[in-house]
Amino acid sequence: MASIQGVLTTAIACGLLSGAAYAQQAAPDLPARVKMTWDERPSIRFGRIARVDIRLTLQLDGRDSEVPFDPDESRASWARKRAGVEGVVAGLFGFQIEHDLGADGQWRDVYVNYQQFDAIQVQAGQFKLPFSREQTTSPARIDFAYRSRVAETLAPGRDRGVMVHGRVVRNRLEYELGLFEHDGNNARRSGADRVYGGRSVAARLTARPFRTVRSAARTLEVGAAGVWSDVSEGLPSLKGETPFDREFYDPDLWVLGAQRRQGVEFRWRPGPFSVKSEYIRLTTERRNQSVEDTDLSPFLADGWYVSGTWILTGERKAAGPENPRRPLPRGPGAIEAAVRFEAIAFSSSAPDKDDGEPSSSPRADVVRGNRLRALTLGVNWFPMRSVRVQFNVIRESLDDPSQGPLPRQSSFWDRVVRVQFHW
Amino acid sequence: MRLILALSILFYWPVFRVSPPGPLATSEDLFASDTLHDVHLYIHSRDLQRLRSEYLENTYFPADLVWRHTRVRNVALRSRGGLATRDSVKPGFRVDMDRYTPGRTFLGLRAIVLDNLFQDPSMIREALSMSVHARMGQTAMRESFCRLYVNNEFQGLYTIVEDVDEPFLARTFGRDDGYLFEYQWQQPFDGGPLGAAFGIYRTLFEAKTHELAPNDELYVPIRALFDTASLPDDVVTREDLERYIDLNQLVTALALDTLLGEEDGLAGLHGMNNFYLYRDAGSTRHSFIPWDRDRAFKLIDSSIVDRVYENALTRRALSYGDLFDRYLRTLEDGARMLSSGDWLSAEIERLRALIGQAAYADSRKPYSNEEFEAAVQFLREFATVRSARVLEEVAAYRGGR
Repeated sequence: MASIQGVLTTAIACGLLSGAAYAQQAAPDLPARVKMTWDERPSIRFGRIARVDIRLTLQLDGRDSEVPFDPDESRASWARKRAGVEGVVAGLFGFQIEHDLGADGQWRDVYVNYQQFDAIQVQAGQFKLPFSREQTTSPARIDFAYRSRVAETLAPGRDRGVMVHGRVVRNRLEYELGLFEHDGNNARRSGADRVYGGRSVAARLTARPFRTVRSAARTLEVGAAGVWSDVSEGLPSLKGETPFDREFYDPDLWVLGAQRRQGVEFRWRPGPFSVKSEYIRLTTERRNQSVEDTDLSPFLADGWYVSGTWILTGERKAAGPENPRRPLPRGPGAIEAAVRFEAIAFSSSAPDKDDGEPSSSPRADVVRGNRLRALTLGVNWFPMRSVRVQFNVIRESLDDPSQGPLPRQSSFWDRVVRVQFHW
Repeated sequence: MRLILALSILFYWPVFRVSPPGPLATSEDLFASDTLHDVHLYIHSRDLQRLRSEYLENTYFPADLVWRHTRVRNVALRSRGGLATRDSVKPGFRVDMDRYTPGRTFLGLRAIVLDNLFQDPSMIREALSMSVHARMGQTAMRESFCRLYVNNEFQGLYTIVEDVDEPFLARTFGRDDGYLFEYQWQQPFDGGPLGAAFGIYRTLFEAKTHELAPNDELYVPIRALFDTASLPDDVVTREDLERYIDLNQLVTALALDTLLGEEDGLAGLHGMNNFYLYRDAGSTRHSFIPWDRDRAFKLIDSSIVDRVYENALTRRALSYGDLFDRYLRTLEDGARMLSSGDWLSAEIERLRALIGQAAYADSRKPYSNEEFEAAVQFLREFATVRSARVLEEVAAYRGGR
């Protein structure tokens, strides 16, 4: 049986080659002029045959925290340095290729999308599994310096796969259904005993029920998604970390069996405001893992966030504050205030028992987990197109501080200033 | 009314469902030496396989412990023992109650040891020895015998031994905030100076409490103890030495080792071994806590002064006349206690009767049933002759002085 990797490589190659072939066929009828434009980002137009946009994301962070930094840890560091291209060939195939800059950089999105029809498109390559609004939003466009813990930790992230997707019912419904090699790179960790999901099926359905209505409700979106996979016997790769990568929960417990992610999401962007929320729940079975080789209650990780933004300078959120109406030096640019409440918890779904004392034993039925709650206050400043400066203050609280970075302190502050350049 | 009644039954059903608790068990019940207990351990099959194959490692595995009708979930289990007593077929176990559940105790105990009785064909030396220490008013671990089952399979006869830890310190010293060190035998050590560097102290004296304290806090008093004991007589006073060691307690513990023909104790054949050092918080004065006396009742003919002058510490202690008298007196009292009403012989027979059937059924023990009987027979001989020999030698020393 051919591997998913092989299928994907073939699919991408076929897509690009067929696009090129189509372009060659069409070439005699089309002016083969090559033109470079600088609209939102540098873009090369090959007549009407193809468009290739240059992408670049640079994010530099300055951080401060109540938690002491390690000696080898810098307070100023690059959060992201990525470059790539995206575009369309012959109006049929979209593509995106993105790679981290630097010696140890990795491939990010590498895919081709057959997009002749809105209602049914096929995407193949490496890209994010269709799960979690925030996780599938580019880091250059999220409202805070860091994604919510639940989106960052429990959503799968990127993997290699094939996905059918499209918009139907006058674009009110969007569906995505994919088959992936694994359950995403967010769930991976090195270590001989660490396991993550194998072949994964992911599906998401989002609806904009009032899209065609002329009212504030037209930007309202709701969605639900799921990812299904199996994990082999081992310790989960998942772990709880604060935005500054401080560990507060490491599940050294044995798992085996089905792993399920379920999520619901909500977004509404009336005028300069926005409200977003998600709830994600991840369960992993622990078949035959008790001390008597019987099943344990599934390992459970779940969490949520609710966030709101307000563009004080009046730009419409749905249109994006990245293009300020009065950029520097004509005006102050766009300024946005943001607030987010969130929580993420790790536990097990064991029923209450008389002797069900939570334990960190790798084979405990009642898992001694932990919960992080965080409040983030932020200001986003868009002085001009492509540039953003974010100020975030994060107050984090742990239910069990002994597992966290400050074992005798349950709450602590983190602060970050992020300067971003994005094409 | 019927509805209220039905709802009430539903509400209180969980209460009715719980079986009524029996009389509350205590650690005294667990260590009742007149009972052959049944202890069950449940451990995942793969973990058990690993524990057996990696029995030389101190890797912990999760398990449940069942004693009487009480199941202690999520205890931490590991192989234990010195190199000579570790075994994959009949491993010794250490069971920690609080490793995975911080602060949790079982019958007030943070840990117990399940001794595999690997080196003692009689299987009762350790229990007998601790019993003597306790009767002589000395600090001693509590012990009892058990049939051990792992995943419902009989593993053999074990002793349940009280761990030397904070609850033990609280029971025996009245406080649990002191400094406790377990001696780790590396090579023969005669109580002499170990040098200035802390590395050797860390190796030999493993901190069991205040583990994260700096070296100065942990080891300066121990270094001073062995340095002081080795200084020339005209340089060091008894007060200097007593600042670091309870000499009365040392001499008493030494006398009991001698009385019981212990070959691997404070003045062992291979240097000092099998003891803990303890000192109260805020004090520099140490006490010796004897441990693992499964090689007692061996040296049936040994003199009461064998090897005691080869150790710098015991030599210095016995150089003081009153302490030598105390040494002789303890030997004398102990010998009379052993022989009084044939206490030791009776105790041997009682324990033999208690464990005999389980010992025979223990197919994992590294000796035959004949060797078991022969070892018990040797103990009987020891009980018959040892006290008299010790009393005779004590009298000779008294007469000669």
